[in-house]
Amino acid sequence: MDSIIADARSARDWLQAHGWIARRAEHFRVLPPPPGDVWLGAQPDATPDVAAAPPAARAGWTVRHLDGDPQIPVDVAVLDAFDPRQRSRLLDGLPPPGVGTDGNEDDAAPFAWAHRALCREGLKLRVGYGAAHQGAGQAAPSVLSLQLQHRAGSPVEAPLLVIEVAPGVRCRLVEAHMFGSATGAEAALPAAVVQNLQVHVRLEAGASLQVVRHVAARPADCIAHHLQVRVARDARFELATIAAGSRYQLHRQQIGLLEPGAIGRSASLVLCDGTSLNQQFRVDHQAPDTVSDVEALALGSGAALAGLDAWTRIAPDAAGANVRQRLTGIPTAGEPRFVLRPHLEILNDQVQAVHGATWGSLPEEAIFYARQRGLDGSAARGLIIEGMAQDLLRRAISDAAALDSLGVDALLQSAVREHLAPQCGAAS
Amino acid sequence: MSTTSGEPLLEVDGLRVDVGERNVLESVSFDVRPGNLLVLMGANGSGKSTLGLALAGHPRYRVTGGRARFDGQDLLALEPQARARAGLFLSFQSPPDIPGVKNNLFLRTALNAVRQARDGNDSTPLDAFDFLALAREQARRVGLPEAMLSRSVNDGFSGGERKRNELLQLALLQPRLAILDEADSGMDADGVRALVELIGTMRKQGSAFIVVSHYQHLIEQLQADAVLKLVNGRIAGAGDPAPAASIAHAGGAHAGRGA
Repeated sequence: MDSIIADARSARDWLQAHGWIARRAEHFRVLPPPPGDVWLGAQPDATPDVAAAPPAARAGWTVRHLDGDPQIPVDVAVLDAFDPRQRSRLLDGLPPPGVGTDGNEDDAAPFAWAHRALCREGLKLRVGYGAAHQGAGQAAPSVLSLQLQHRAGSPVEAPLLVIEVAPGVRCRLVEAHMFGSATGAEAALPAAVVQNLQVHVRLEAGASLQVVRHVAARPADCIAHHLQVRVARDARFELATIAAGSRYQLHRQQIGLLEPGAIGRSASLVLCDGTSLNQQFRVDHQAPDTVSDVEALALGSGAALAGLDAWTRIAPDAAGANVRQRLTGIPTAGEPRFVLRPHLEILNDQVQAVHGATWGSLPEEAIFYARQRGLDGSAARGLIIEGMAQDLLRRAISDAAALDSLGVDALLQSAVREHLAPQCGAAS
Repeated sequence: MSTTSGEPLLEVDGLRVDVGERNVLESVSFDVRPGNLLVLMGANGSGKSTLGLALAGHPRYRVTGGRARFDGQDLLALEPQARARAGLFLSFQSPPDIPGVKNNLFLRTALNAVRQARDGNDSTPLDAFDFLALAREQARRVGLPEAMLSRSVNDGFSGGERKRNELLQLALLQPRLAILDEADSGMDADGVRALVELIGTMRKQGSAFIVVSHYQHLIEQLQADAVLKLVNGRIAGAGDPAPAASIAHAGGAHAGRGA
């Protein structure tokens, strides 16, 4: 136990010595994060209160089997970070705090150290590790679909999620982060949550993970989600994110394509109704014949601020890499602000790379067309925005059946309608 | 139908339309009665498409003078969707793509909106299953492959497929007045035959048509009640369909100034 407290203290010491992310830091100046104290709770210098640590059962995670091959073993463990044995299991194989997929210190390292100082629990999800499915090479690998849900429960929290997929195993996951009330415990639910979530994903050779993430934040919530993905040889990571902005929100995704043939795709639909959100993509092509595709569509209204930032590095050894970046911001009402920053660092001549940023508008001809067929203005806009979002997410998750099985249509429809609801009265 | 066959369904009187700073239609007057078919001809840029888009309420086509009444009500005071729900349909010369929106969802949403307006509270929205049966039947009628129903609206469609998709919407929505802007362009012979048959059937049921076309062959098959010739934003000739042949031959020779 002493070592755990020492670990948490050393994380705070690191923060004290190195300071928080500077307001002018290159990738954070569009939307500077609240200071470090916010992410550590009210008493930044306090010794971690072990007695106050939530039992694992109350930690807010639920995992449910949706469909697919029941023969694929799934190991789900909610682990208490203040229990030495469980902590060791939780952190096993993870990089030290603040180290990126390229092995260097990450720009967002202070978030990782703040997380280490506060983290009390985590979920470890291991898919396909068992006698029946160890090893790649099945002729037609079967698929497993899971639903993972996390409901925030503390005013300031630092949950950890670790996902590992065994060689050759295919998994689909719908990952929902809830901040509103479930039934029952409304009184205990904080009105606003500060959440610093770290997610580590490891895909072994030939594995495939398709994830739909839905982050249903409330306007007052302050959220930072850091996703670090390591993709091995011929493995495929595909991510579709639907997120509504809030007071402060950061989605930072680091995808390391570490071995030949690794593929990483990510598409984010960002909906900001007078709120803020910073979507950051970091992709490292470290091996030959790797493929990445990152894309974000931000829809903003009112005085929203959306920062979309994509940075892809192609290492000198990554011949044959194929890269695409696309960032788009579209106002739906008011005068939102979009800052779009696509960036490529190419250190090999034998690559294909495409990137672009577009400040656009909703397709007026398509809206008129829909109205000419009898749809009112808000229904036409909603349908067309849902279509744009569908198209975006389907570019990230190549298998249409995966999106269908994960219920993306309903998620999208609800998120877009919520975004457009304040405008419905104004638009005909 | 509230309009008897003797009363005009659409009355256009001295219509003047600007697009941006440019005047495209100067003064256009005509009327259309239920079941009638009026052919609109003219050179490229003479204002044919502008007329259709202005009547449908496109926000870029600004009516600066004149009036238009549809079934006795002021058409120009209505929002585009209210015009559609009242029974005015425009088949677009270049129907736009709507990526990500499945054709069957789009069509069902449109049909339910029109049915709700037409039948009021008695209308029960069609569910996906019932709609699909209806859509398949009409798709066969206009020669649109059934697979097109589950694809995104017009996304990746050929020119002819787009036009057949417009025909499918026409067949499903059963408007009181349809403005068909070069509905035959890009269509093969079977498509044109389906167009002619659909128009004929709908006319018998009381639907009226304004057909924009450059092709005399189509105009002859349609058995038009009248032909209008637009030149430089004005109607330069009107009357029986007999002069259509000469207009068709001469149409391309007129230099236009409109959209």
